[in-house]
Order: sequence, then C-alpha cells, then structure tokens
Amino acid sequence: MKESRLMLIQYATAVAAVALVSVHLIMQGVIYPYATAISFNNILSVYKNGFYAIFLEALLVVVLVHGFNGVRIILQEIRQTKPWSQMVDAGTVVAIIVTVAYGTRTVILAVFGAVSPA
Amino acid sequence: MTHVKLTVQRFDPFRDAKPRMVEYAIPPREGMTVLDALLYARDYLDHSIALRFSCRQASCGSCGMKINGRPRLACYTQVAELGGDKVVAQPMDNFAIIKDLVTDLESFFARHKEMMPHLIRADTGEMENPSAEYLMKPEELEKMLQFTYCIKCGLCTSSCPTVATDPDFPGPQALAQAYRYAMDPRDEGGEKRLELVDGTHGVWRCHFAGSCSYVCPKGVDPALGIQLLKRHVMSGKAPHEEGAKVFAASVPQK
Repeated sequence: MKESRLMLIQYATAVAAVALVSVHLIMQGVIYPYATAISFNNILSVYKNGFYAIFLEALLVVVLVHGFNGVRIILQEIRQTKPWSQMVDAGTVVAIIVTVAYGTRTVILAVFGAVSPA
Repeated sequence: MTHVKLTVQRFDPFRDAKPRMVEYAIPPREGMTVLDALLYARDYLDHSIALRFSCRQASCGSCGMKINGRPRLACYTQVAELGGDKVVAQPMDNFAIIKDLVTDLESFFARHKEMMPHLIRADTGEMENPSAEYLMKPEELEKMLQFTYCIKCGLCTSSCPTVATDPDFPGPQALAQAYRYAMDPRDEGGEKRLELVDGTHGVWRCHFAGSCSYVCPKGVDPALGIQLLKRHVMSGKAPHEEGAKVFAASVPQK
C-alpha cells in the first residue's frame, strides 16, 4: 500500500478516535460516575446494549489501527534498510490483526453472555 | 570592540580524531561579515583554514555554515548583527565534513537531482525547438515563485531534524523543488514526482518542525512547499495534469 494511503488511514483514525474516545469518556466519567462505570457488572451490562457494543468494537479497531500505524511510522524512521522496513510493516499488520481479534473475542463473549457476572 | 573573537571548528578527518575549536582575534571593521572575518583569519593568521565561498553576495550558496549555533550564510551575516564580539563558525550539521568548514554536499545534490528538477513534457520536439514563447499567468507563477529562489546552500537540510535521523529522507530542499516543478504549468511530470516522494521515507516523514523555513537566507518556505506537496500526494493528482494540456493548447503559434 502506498504511504499516502497509510497516512490517510492514520489521519482518518485520528479524527475518528477523537470523536469515539470523547463519547466513551463522557459515558464512562460523566453520565455514569467513574467508580460505578468500571465495575465488572456494569461493564458486562454495557455490552448488552447492541449500539454500545458496536461503538466499543469501532473504538477498539480505530484506536488499535491508529496506535500500531503510529508505532510503525516511528520504527520506520529508526532504520532505513528494506528488510527492516518489510519486517516493521508485516509486524504492524500482525499486531493489528491479533489485538483486534482478541478484543473482538472479548466483545463477542460479553455480548452473547458467555462471561458470567461476578 | 577592539577585536572580534572568532572561534573556528577545525577538523581534518584524515588527521584528527575529533574536532577542536581554535580562536582567532580579528580586527573589526564596519560592515564586516563573518566571511570577511574568516578570510582575514585565513589570509593573515592561519592559511590552513578550509572554507568554501564564491560570490560573497548570497547568490551562490557556497558559504553555508553554522554561525553561533544557527545555520547561516557567512557572506550574508554581519558580525555586528550577532550582538557581541564572539563569533563561532562550525560546519553545517547533517553533512559529512571534508575539512574544517567544508562539508560534503554530494548526497544533497543527488537528492535534488532525484526530484527531476527540470520541465518534463511529452512534446520533446516543442521543448527543444519552441514554436512560441511559453507564457504563464501571474497567479500561476506566484504558486511556485518563492521556491525558484532556492540557491541550494543546504542550510535547510542541515537544520532538518528528520534528515538528522533518517538519511533516506530527501530533505526540505529536494521536496520543495519537487513541489516547485510539479506546480509549473508548463510541466507534465507532476505525477512521476508525486510517486517519487510517496514512499516510506518520502514526504510523509516531514514532521513540520519548520526549521528549514526559519533558516532559509532567501526567504523560501520549504516547510510550506512540503505541506502543499503532501496535499497533492494525498489526492493522487498532479497539480497540472490537466493544466499542462490546456497550457500547451494555449501557446500562441508563430
């Protein structure tokens, strides 16, 4: 993929992350008091709301893509060899896939009630 | 002020293990530039000082060096404007030192050349034997005019933090020139240049520190050129892809 496409993804996810993280923080810290919001049972109940489950999945993807792509950019500047460049690119793709898959697994388990309340 | 304390960084890679600072006392005179002081030191105090210079009027870009910590042209910097009697002359950063204040600009010019700093057109016959004068509108000229003032002194590249850490980054001078030619309404090679700079170590590695624009002695704003270049790279369209065709059609016939 061209670097300009990767940078477009970086900018788009940055804008999306600002919006999503803002809504997330408002919901977790303002609408619900913070201490209540992070209780295990409350978190599980949040996933029962289909809209919020999709919202959290979107937040997961946006933040991970933005974060790992950002790390990729920093690592690309450290060395200039082709093997290093390819390794960093491949590592970024793997890291995104693995972490998104693991996060999605958590979301799915919570949505379908596979995690028991405390 | 009885004397100007001129400190010169001396280093011969074939003889010295590390650079050393040598101080010279220069009798001041009105309007004395740092280049004048250096030439006085070389002519009357130490013939072995190596420095590069030519035009003495900020046109050739040969005497770029770090003066009191900031990249400047020695011929364009008066001792009086430095605000004291101490002048420290060092070679430009981000370039290998050939000797003392002379740096190796080979990679710098190679980067410049990579950007194809010339007009590219399909009608080579017309280019070699133009049938009429090639005219352009003032507003078209304005988009690229400041970038044509570049004298290739290397000061912008020596001040660039990205060049310092990423040797494959083309640098502000080369990227600003890529923009300059891509914006030329007579040019049809914009797309090639956009592809050239759209790599892992290309235009996107500019973090917009802006030091290149800060140190340019000719008032060019390479940082601006790079950001504008990014916009065209992002859209994937050369600024004059269509414009050049229109321009070619508008060339008045004899």
